[in-house]
Amino acid sequence: MNKIATTFCALILCAIVAPASAHHSAAQFDFRNPVALSGKVIEARFANPHMRLVLEVTDDARGTRDIEFEGHSRNNMRRQGLLPGMFTVGDMVTISIAPMKDGTDGGYVVGVRTPEGEEIGRITGAD
Amino acid sequence: MISNRTLGMVSLAICLSAAVLEAAEQPDFSGAWTTFRGSIGAGAFNAPQGAPVLTEAAEAARNDFLSLTDGTNHGAGNSCVGSGMPASVLGSGGYPMEIIQRPEQVFVIYEAHSEFRRFLIGTEAEDPDSFFPERNGYSTAYWEGDRLIVETTRLKTQVDSRYPHSNEATVREVYYLGEPLEDGTRVLVNELTMTDSAWLKEPFSIVKRWQELPGYHVLTYECSEPKWLDEMEGLYEEAGLEMVQE
Repeated sequence: MNKIATTFCALILCAIVAPASAHHSAAQFDFRNPVALSGKVIEARFANPHMRLVLEVTDDARGTRDIEFEGHSRNNMRRQGLLPGMFTVGDMVTISIAPMKDGTDGGYVVGVRTPEGEEIGRITGAD
Repeated sequence: MISNRTLGMVSLAICLSAAVLEAAEQPDFSGAWTTFRGSIGAGAFNAPQGAPVLTEAAEAARNDFLSLTDGTNHGAGNSCVGSGMPASVLGSGGYPMEIIQRPEQVFVIYEAHSEFRRFLIGTEAEDPDSFFPERNGYSTAYWEGDRLIVETTRLKTQVDSRYPHSNEATVREVYYLGEPLEDGTRVLVNELTMTDSAWLKEPFSIVKRWQELPGYHVLTYECSEPKWLDEMEGLYEEAGLEMVQE
């Protein structure tokens, strides 16, 4: 097996394992009903134990504002195929999030749709 | 009549054979490992099911902790603190672990929080009491045939673990290679028992399995840097200077 194939298999093997325990409570996120959302990247910090993403989002209900999102650790993001180059400051991105259960702004990043329309990431819970 | 030289050669051959046999008995656990599933599919989990049976006092201490932290962002992991034993080993797999084995020690890196443990074998092992207590304790090891027996002491009292224990806890682990998967993928087994007369009503025994990730290496897990960057940003902002560090 060549190195690329080996790495891919390793990523898949790791990625399909849902973490048993989150670094903190994730009860506020609704992982059962993910929603898609687009916005301009204001800040993207790939870090452990969680990523931080701030998007400028505009919608009819609440107008334009910056919204902060949380995501997996950068290690698990990478294994899911979610890479830093997908979140360049100033770019428009479309992400899937587990929204806040109470309906407020924010959520947990579970995937991203590339400009080519490819859906990457299948995160089903917090880590 | 057999000469002294012949006798010497025969003795040497016997000694070498014994050494080779002994070495052959001891498997090399080196490699990266993820949670055992058997085959790709649903139902995977990191930590095997099971929980220690706590004494009343331990239960009360654990409940105090949970009353303060449950449903909040407060947690060791969120503060970039590793799980500690036995959670570090039982939870490993979702974040892979990597083993580097040498004759005198087995070095284990748990990717999450970059925790590591070192199992010191033979004369490498020192008196555990000469080391400070730590969340992962101090581990010595020895071989029994193809099984590596690891004994861990010098643990700290932990209410913030899913496997709470006092500082009197000791952990015994038995590592061996299990039946490989159909495709030949190696399987590593750990039969773990935690004993703690102060906090556990009975010894806590559990079996953890992993399967190998050939060609994989664990990633670094830098966790505390964002907090430092925030601190730096604050300092620069206050001073009206531009921060150029990423």
